[in-house]
Amino acid sequence: MGKMVMKNMFDKNGFVLCGLDARQKKQNIIVTLCVIGSFIISAFTFMNFLYCLSDCIGSIVCASPDISLRDAIRSVPIFLSFFMSLSGLMVAHTFYRNESENILKRKAKKHAVIGIVLGVITIVYVIAMRIAGRYLSLVEGAPSPLYPLDAIIFALIFIATGIFIISYFKKTADKPRYAGPTRAPVQKKGRGVRSFFRAFWLLIGLYGFCGFFYSIFIVDFTNGYVPYIIAVMLVSCVAFASIAVWELYYNNLTAEKRMKVTLPLSLISVVVSVLTAVVYFTALKGNLDGPSNVGFGILPIAFSASVNFATLLVVVTPIIVSVTALIKGIYRKIKFK
Amino acid sequence: MKKNVLCIFLAAMMLLSLASCAKTQISSEHLQDYVFTLQYHDNYNILQLTDIHWNVNTSAKASMNYLDKLLKEVNDHIVAVQGAGAKIDLIELTGDMFMLANSYHLMTFIDYFEKKAEEYGFVYAPIWGNHDRHSLYNPNELADRFKNAKHCVYYEQPDDLYGRSNYIINLTEDGTKNTAAAWMIANIDSGAAFSETELSVFRDYDYIRPDQTEWFISEHALAGEDVPAIAYYHIPQDENEKAWVAVSEEGAQMKNKFFKLEGFADNGNEKYASDFIDRAKDHNLKAAFMGHAHNVDWTVEYEGVVLGLGVKTGTELYFAHIDVNSEDKAVKAGLADSGITENFDLIGASLVTLTGKDGSFDLEHLYFNERENGDFSAWVKW
Repeated sequence: MGKMVMKNMFDKNGFVLCGLDARQKKQNIIVTLCVIGSFIISAFTFMNFLYCLSDCIGSIVCASPDISLRDAIRSVPIFLSFFMSLSGLMVAHTFYRNESENILKRKAKKHAVIGIVLGVITIVYVIAMRIAGRYLSLVEGAPSPLYPLDAIIFALIFIATGIFIISYFKKTADKPRYAGPTRAPVQKKGRGVRSFFRAFWLLIGLYGFCGFFYSIFIVDFTNGYVPYIIAVMLVSCVAFASIAVWELYYNNLTAEKRMKVTLPLSLISVVVSVLTAVVYFTALKGNLDGPSNVGFGILPIAFSASVNFATLLVVVTPIIVSVTALIKGIYRKIKFK
Repeated sequence: MKKNVLCIFLAAMMLLSLASCAKTQISSEHLQDYVFTLQYHDNYNILQLTDIHWNVNTSAKASMNYLDKLLKEVNDHIVAVQGAGAKIDLIELTGDMFMLANSYHLMTFIDYFEKKAEEYGFVYAPIWGNHDRHSLYNPNELADRFKNAKHCVYYEQPDDLYGRSNYIINLTEDGTKNTAAAWMIANIDSGAAFSETELSVFRDYDYIRPDQTEWFISEHALAGEDVPAIAYYHIPQDENEKAWVAVSEEGAQMKNKFFKLEGFADNGNEKYASDFIDRAKDHNLKAAFMGHAHNVDWTVEYEGVVLGLGVKTGTELYFAHIDVNSEDKAVKAGLADSGITENFDLIGASLVTLTGKDGSFDLEHLYFNERENGDFSAWVKW
């Protein structure tokens, strides 16, 4: 039975990529790589964003809003770089979804323009702050040796990418454009709520990815707490995998296939995410000072507030996602029986 | 395929297990290993810098400019009071040097202190604070960089002691272990935080654990029962709060001074109260200095031990603005006998001068603020 389900889930005829010609396949590979690449960049900029935000929140919590403001002013380019990379991810994702020619053109151009505007703001801001003496030099240093110059370079890359996207649509105005596959559109019903939760889920996924990646380098395996370390890496991994499975696997299926797969996939997701939560809390029980002592750099918000909030959020979100999918799967099964 | 995945998984687990099984040192069998020695002289100057808090938002350049001026002010003050040739002998960095920082901050910080150590002729001794564990570097990287820095005194081994940086600096006649200690300085890692249960929403701040107290007592016995001792660590223990309650609510007559503008941010839970001060005071502990609560530098003589928080160093994260016209009782108490007549920020450093081998010492707090129209500097004696 299990084998049957797995075989059925990975039946290649059920994928939207099935039957594409060579050009379409090439375009699809490029777009998928762009989605993955921009997701990774967004994950790193998101972690920087969280770090800056955590420090600013810390100052506010400690009744020093003036310090928070001073720090926020210094780190505006870091905050903007996250939104810039997010605009890049949105452009790539719009191509990936390819809901329709009009939607693709409208949305991709919109996100490209947002990226260009943010890039320009970043460059103008850094130069203005340098002239005003708020930056002691263009390579003042911290958090990187080249800060804030690296923010200008990052902005220039996004401006160039944005211009490329806009000119792509201009050049191909009279010709057939992107010919990649169309993937499941976001349903119109409750679009606002769906978009909100999807954005939240994306942030958890970015957090999970970066947390897992950093943990490989910054977690100290030699100082005890090994069960907790493994558990926290598992949590980060599942948070990221949750988005990867649904976005890169589920959304690559044909509509008919998705109908069939929703229920078994959501069941597997529920089991994995619940098991992860159990593993996490069991490990925490044996390492109650684990969160504060090993690699806590990967969970910045949680530590600043001295609460377990962020970790709980990362543990719980995949469960919510999979339970939602399970309810959807059951509903569809009953409806189409 | 399944076999391959299983093999990779098992190999990863084995590597993790091997890493975690690094040889653990039994501290009681290696007491000498934890001891550094430096040469003692009367008027030995120990500067405490605390809660520097370099983070992702910090301008390292601006922070170093502040530290440049601060160190010059301290050095000039020492020379003015003690005469030419006197200097900062030791800097105690009592935790939270970093928070939400990365390797770049770490390298820049150590390079800076190495440069200044050459310039002023001091050595520096870092202690972990709760936030030093909270960064994008591997904790081992921090330990290794401190261990390898030329002017840094630091010891860390995988051992049976709680925390990471527990070590002793004995000030001896000739600066070696061959002569008797005149003073013992204990640097203790007071940890970070812990959850009471796996489902707790909040975390409690950590405390000095009984095994660390036991280790301190053994090290002190090794140095000599008559040797006066000072402890430096990051998180205040329960005695600070007890002393505060005794002074402020019960009207106890204890010598106390400086500012207490917020709580001590200690564990605050009787169940997890540390036995450190309670037991160490019977082993010639003369003073214990810490950091952690930035708006507090309140110092008190409690049951024969001077307990004090250092003045927060630099402008990162948060600090108090002192209004000399404030009607606030705590501000007024802090300003009493300080001679300060203008508003200032509660940032700077604390200076301990060991005046004799009999356990006597002086303590001064420096409030130092950078200002466009001339920096503010005020020394207030304990």
